[in-house]
Amino acid sequence: MERRVVITAESAITPIGHGKSEIFNNLIHGVSGVKKLKTEDDLLSKYLHSRVFGSIDYEITYDFSRKFTKTLGPVSYYACQVAKEVIEQSGLDREFLSSGRVGVAYGSTHGSPTVQRHIYEAFFDPERRGYAKINATDYLKSMVHTTAVNITRMFGITGRVISSCTACTTGSQSIGYGYESIKYGLQDAMICGAADEYDTTTVAVFDNLLACSTAYNDKPHLTPRPFDVNRDGLVVGEGAGAVLLEEYEHAKRRGATILAEVIGFSCSNNGGDLILPNADGVKRTIRMGLDNARIRPEDVDFISAHATSTKMGDIIEAQAIHAEYGDRPHVSGLKSYIGHTMSSCGAIETIFVLYMLHEGVIVPTLNLDEIDPRCNMVRHVTKIIEKEIDIASIQNFAFGGVNTSLFIKKWK
Amino acid sequence: MTRKEIVEKILVILKDEFEIVDPDLDINLTEEYEFDSIDAIALLEYLEDFIASPLTQEEKKQAMEIRTINQICDFIESILKKRN
Repeated sequence: MERRVVITAESAITPIGHGKSEIFNNLIHGVSGVKKLKTEDDLLSKYLHSRVFGSIDYEITYDFSRKFTKTLGPVSYYACQVAKEVIEQSGLDREFLSSGRVGVAYGSTHGSPTVQRHIYEAFFDPERRGYAKINATDYLKSMVHTTAVNITRMFGITGRVISSCTACTTGSQSIGYGYESIKYGLQDAMICGAADEYDTTTVAVFDNLLACSTAYNDKPHLTPRPFDVNRDGLVVGEGAGAVLLEEYEHAKRRGATILAEVIGFSCSNNGGDLILPNADGVKRTIRMGLDNARIRPEDVDFISAHATSTKMGDIIEAQAIHAEYGDRPHVSGLKSYIGHTMSSCGAIETIFVLYMLHEGVIVPTLNLDEIDPRCNMVRHVTKIIEKEIDIASIQNFAFGGVNTSLFIKKWK
Repeated sequence: MTRKEIVEKILVILKDEFEIVDPDLDINLTEEYEFDSIDAIALLEYLEDFIASPLTQEEKKQAMEIRTINQICDFIESILKKRN
């Protein structure tokens, strides 16, 4: 038996704001959340060529008691905050959350690197004096599934836990696997998403791969530039997103506000190279997703491209989109506003698309001043368009050759 | 170090690090303040700093049976006596 799955709450902490009102306002006004990379924190920043970052540079007021904060690293603060806002927005009560019918699908790139650095200090102390400081608390704060289980702990959630850690497809997998959990009757609701805290490890990785943006260090808001002829690489960012997925009949019975319907999801692997973008893998994932959603390519009005702004990645993605969809659907690269928020990008970009569905607009790819001819076979959005989207797809790809396509439909 | 000084120091640690304010010295910390195993391990680190001496594995195991502030103070006194 297959059941319908709807989205009944959302929340995001992003480099362009926290919460729908601020984020949507910045999207429609073309505000970038990319700033100069901090250099005063001794996290190798001054050695990196790329000096830009999608930063959360505003205060967030947390109202968590010490009982819960003792196991929270920075990444879980983000995760628990968006989960809290989603639960409050949804109106779900504690009894249902603890019924076993609600689960959590939430992840991060690698837990909390800030806390992990603290742990590893013990290994680099020649006298090993700090070994006793490697304790359970630091492990709970930093482990790969720290976000998911801190959410379950804080809100008494007793259903299944899925904690993907597939880098840039973590957030989209969380939503996809949450969708499947409800669709096939395993759960009635799932809190889904991903978070990543400020960290320079991934900046260094991409910097050393020559994949980071370096030409706009003095003008951070001009990068990344997905599909633009002058793009020069990705910009790492931080952030968190969460959506509440709910079985349709359950949402209807309790009179919940339905934001959209999740109609399909696909995930595949390239089965080979762990780094290079792969057109066949992307095309196969799109076809699988369309089949899963039981729609035709021409039913899709808008595509949120992964579009990290690397030289080859954007070309291959544009070609793959064109091969499967032609030039009918509008295409935007939403990382142009916030950088690549790593694990959380799929969740945050899904939430941005929800806003567009709701408000009847399509926001353009920021900084797309001159389309690279090698990317120019799809219908790029270069200025804001007032248009109703019925069906949108969110595409994400990750190191390791993982590809996802998620399909959401406007609720009418 | 007097018993009074030990009590005062423990109360400061509990207030500053565990948000436990003006507790009864014989109250069960787990039952009253949800002081759990994670807190107990963290408290041991503060106690090591307080007595300026690392605790042995056996001493830590012994400490995990502690439930009240008076028992914490008894434990500190016994450790200090052993060290001296």
